[in-house]
Amino acid sequence: MKQTIELSINQQAYTIDIEPHITLLDMLRNELELLGTKRGCEKGDCGTCTVLVNGKPVNACLYLAVRANGKEILTVEGLETDAGLHPLQKGFLEKGAVQCGFCTPGMLMASVSLLDENPTPTEKEVRTAISGNLCRCTGYQHIVDAILSVQEKG
Amino acid sequence: MVYGKEGYNMPLPSFHYHEPASLVEACRMLASFGEKGILMAGGTDLLVKMKSREVQPENIISLTQLKEINRISFTDNHLTIGAGCTISQIAESAVICSAFPALASGAEHLGSPTVRNMGTIGGNIMTASPAADLPPALMAYGASVRLKSNNQERFLPLEQIFCSPGVTCIKENEILADIHIEKPQEMSGAGFFKLGNRKALQISIINGACYVALNPENGKIQTSRIVLGAVAPIPIRAVSAEEVLMGQKPCADLFEKAGKAAALGCKPIDDLRGSAEYRKDMVGVLTRRTLLSAFEQIERT
Repeated sequence: MKQTIELSINQQAYTIDIEPHITLLDMLRNELELLGTKRGCEKGDCGTCTVLVNGKPVNACLYLAVRANGKEILTVEGLETDAGLHPLQKGFLEKGAVQCGFCTPGMLMASVSLLDENPTPTEKEVRTAISGNLCRCTGYQHIVDAILSVQEKG
Repeated sequence: MVYGKEGYNMPLPSFHYHEPASLVEACRMLASFGEKGILMAGGTDLLVKMKSREVQPENIISLTQLKEINRISFTDNHLTIGAGCTISQIAESAVICSAFPALASGAEHLGSPTVRNMGTIGGNIMTASPAADLPPALMAYGASVRLKSNNQERFLPLEQIFCSPGVTCIKENEILADIHIEKPQEMSGAGFFKLGNRKALQISIINGACYVALNPENGKIQTSRIVLGAVAPIPIRAVSAEEVLMGQKPCADLFEKAGKAAALGCKPIDDLRGSAEYRKDMVGVLTRRTLLSAFEQIERT
């Protein structure tokens, strides 16, 4: 039986009727066509579906959409503003932190959450923050450089 | 859509979803659904099992919105952790980091940041994985649990609730409400260890925790609890190692002997994460190191 949920996604209010077995990932991709959030392992191991729920990163593949009732969701589509790309997005471009790009949305969301809580992280803190995000192009060094580059600019 | 061979990547089977507003209501729901209901905390384990069709509940009773089991409190030297507290809440709690460092360490090394933001201490206990990361530290501190059902509540030492992998001795109508630990005495220290193939998202090859308390008058060990995970169907106390320590003056040689006793006393299995022989060897090494770090904590204070 469908349940009605009210939530904010990328600062826009939504009222959605949804079956309880639909994950937040499937709701974003299939119902709302927000395809930036990627479907990877589907069991919380790869991190590419990472979105922020009330500012905290979670795996959207293991988060029921009905649980998001009353919550604020931020996906990679919400990072760009009228002022342009998010500083982290610019950093990823400048440092060449994107190869195939499949891990990028998850990497961005994990690092957005890190910088919100800790604007001047150490390299170790950056590596811990993205420790649940797999990159199979082995591009971690460039990703870490990109995240660290944001604070250098202040 | 192409589904994985192992049954992963399947959409969730359908179910009815319930969000009780209180623990009392949750108990009532659990009693009325009987076998057709299952509790969900963080969902990080349950939803994976549902995607592979290992579990197909008709009703899910979600506990995540219950504020009454979402708090950590510390009063009169007594720590109470609500079963719904996330692993992140525990890893970031100032009182747990300072007074219960082995528990903070277990929480910090569990899963990944996203899993820690969703997964709960209650879920980590009730899933009853032999390799779960919180039970060894909790048992080392002598934790007990409060179990709530429709018409009663009771307390049990945590180490009495595990039966076999995935199975606890908790009754079908009971809900784990909170976890209780007394502040360790003066002149005590504790540590946690975890061995895995990588630093994040790893199921422990072995894990464990050690607690040591000294008699303030003569400096000899008067209490010790050594708990090992992933070497038996449930987390176990290394009794023979504890006996080696009892009444002795702490020193490197003694910890070496205790490590050897822990290794000899456990009967791990061979599996894809490690051989039984390797596990036993590592139990010896890591028990010794963790005892040493627990003792160094005492020396620092």
